[in-house]
Amino acid sequence: MSEKKQGKHVAIYGKGGIGKSTTTSNISAALAEAGYRVIQIGCDPKSDSTTILRGGNDLPTVLDTLREQSKVRIEDVSAVGFGGVLCIEAGGPVPGVGCAGRGINAAVELLQELKLFEEYKPDFVLYDVLGDVVCGGFAVPIRDGIADRVFVVTSSDFMAVFAANNLFKAVNKYAPSGGARLGGVIANSIQAAYAKSLIDDFTDQTGTTVVGYVPRSITVAQSELYGKTVIEALPESGQAQVYRNLARYIDENEESVIPKPLNAPELKRWARSWGDRIFEVESGVVHNMASI
Amino acid sequence: MAHHIEGSRNSCALHGALQVIGAIEGAVPVIHSTAGCGMQHHLGITRLNAGNDTFGGPSVSSSNISQKHIVFGGGSRLREQLKNTVKIIQGELYVIVTGCSTEMVGDDIPAMTKEGREQDFPVIYANTPGFRGDVHQGYQLTIKALIEQLPKLGKVAEPVSDSIVNIWGIVPQQDPFWFGNLEEIGRLLETVGLKPNLLFGNGQGLAAWQQVPEAVLNLVVSVWGETPAQLLEERYGTPALVLDALPVGRASGRMLQAVTERLHLDTRRAERVIQDEENRLTNHLAALADTYYRSGFQREFALVGESAQVAGFSEFLAGTLGMIPRLLIMTDNPPDHARETLYSYVTSFVEGYGTELFFSEDHGEITDRLRSSSAELVLGSALEKEVAFEMGVPFLELSFPLVERVVLNRCTVGYRGAITLLEDVGSALLAASGHRIQEA
Repeated sequence: MSEKKQGKHVAIYGKGGIGKSTTTSNISAALAEAGYRVIQIGCDPKSDSTTILRGGNDLPTVLDTLREQSKVRIEDVSAVGFGGVLCIEAGGPVPGVGCAGRGINAAVELLQELKLFEEYKPDFVLYDVLGDVVCGGFAVPIRDGIADRVFVVTSSDFMAVFAANNLFKAVNKYAPSGGARLGGVIANSIQAAYAKSLIDDFTDQTGTTVVGYVPRSITVAQSELYGKTVIEALPESGQAQVYRNLARYIDENEESVIPKPLNAPELKRWARSWGDRIFEVESGVVHNMASI
Repeated sequence: MAHHIEGSRNSCALHGALQVIGAIEGAVPVIHSTAGCGMQHHLGITRLNAGNDTFGGPSVSSSNISQKHIVFGGGSRLREQLKNTVKIIQGELYVIVTGCSTEMVGDDIPAMTKEGREQDFPVIYANTPGFRGDVHQGYQLTIKALIEQLPKLGKVAEPVSDSIVNIWGIVPQQDPFWFGNLEEIGRLLETVGLKPNLLFGNGQGLAAWQQVPEAVLNLVVSVWGETPAQLLEERYGTPALVLDALPVGRASGRMLQAVTERLHLDTRRAERVIQDEENRLTNHLAALADTYYRSGFQREFALVGESAQVAGFSEFLAGTLGMIPRLLIMTDNPPDHARETLYSYVTSFVEGYGTELFFSEDHGEITDRLRSSSAELVLGSALEKEVAFEMGVPFLELSFPLVERVVLNRCTVGYRGAITLLEDVGSALLAASGHRIQEA
């Protein structure tokens, strides 16, 4: 598959609710705006990855369609969204039933069988994958060389960093045998004073880099309420420029690393040290004029 | 350290479940798994040992789930399969047995079973994915399911006045002589006035299983019968009598004495029975004596099989027949506590012979050990035939799998089983002796 791979394949992971779909959709929109052919594939049973690219319209998922009809065509499971982005949702079972991990696997396999990439000839394919790598199924986009690079979205919340560290473990496991490497970390919802430093420190510790800082912004929420990306709804905004910069980074940089995830005690120690520092920042303690 | 296993003879839990259900008259298995599971059982076990089961073999009911049932759950496929099975196959009891895939996905089997019961289908379920273990685990898991769920079907057993004894620990087909063995143990129990509950085989249907709680004793003849006996002791307070090995020859007398003592039966009656049986066996031994000495029966032998078989057969062959146990290999992975018991049991009659006892299910290891032993006779499964040929020694199929013998109701336990062993081992030795009838 890798020899005739069409376009750059990028997987975006991160803790649930951290803003993966928003970030991915805005990157897709920015790439499309720059004239590229883009496919965005939502790999999450919630099936809401591409909602803001296509104005909130219904889109049958690959797996639902596969269940209903024996023969599935790309037209049945895709919609053209903002800037011509081809939107696809893998879909999955209802909560509590079946195996979503296998579902992602089956959906990605089907798209390959349908020769989606050969037919559509995308410049970029973005996989927006559900939160933690809870089981093998959710690691599919980074295994077998389906995606070339993984970007991990995290905020400065410990649980988001914890999830990012787990994702590093998955990348670390699969990269040596041809799996995707880490393109970098996208620092999202940057608001608190220490947030940037905390994420920077985490990436330093794990041998990774932050490729973009996305500030928390009302424009994102506003655009989503309109069912649009920031690129589409508020193209002149500073936030739109942030996403364009991210898209440009993904376009222009090929750099990737195999991350060095922290083990459990290391991560715990690291978190503790930040706990102390944040407390001191919030309560105004200053050591030797240092500030973080 | 992890190691590979070559040519295991213990298949998987689902197969054990199918063997249990296949041996109960009127019980219909419904496999909830991928298509290969039932077929694998047919190819690996049924075809070798049992021909076509009534509802088994290649015609077993199976939900044959595919990818969409994995992704979205296979509950509805199972519901459909159960309905269709009930329409097509008339049975007294339907047992849903699960394979690995549906257990991984977490299909709600109890809910589907309950739904079936609400439609008045006599249905129960057993969770028997292969990853739970081998054929012996399947035997235990399915029996546990039967004991726990049959009362939910609401049918009450016919009241019984006899003293019922349930027999546990013989895994249908994994013991190729299971049918005859259960009958022989049953026959012996009858001689002291008990009513054996064989549970598997001819005439053993739902009614037999409903009588399980009524028993006065659970007789356990291998380590694999311990779990059912424990469960019944907890639920119904039924005491258990656990034997260390399959009772073969004189060990059968000890079994009858132990049962008599435990249930306070007529001791004199038991002793009379034992005396009769022993006389009969002794007469056969006497009849064999000439051939025994002429053909050199007293050989060093290697024996490969399930733990209860190996312990039981070797005790008879060494203790009564005077053969020399060189190498004993138990292939059924008994738990640690059982290994200790088996070890001391075997030690009691092999002391001084320099016998080696191993636990292994790895065909490669078994073959190597046989090859480097000085055995002059190999008793084992069809898997051992090749190395016996290579060693140039006589060979007899006695444990699973058999491929060159037809076994219907032949038995290898009790007094009759001891006589069968004399015939079979003797025939194997004579056949390899190169003896020819002189032409006139």
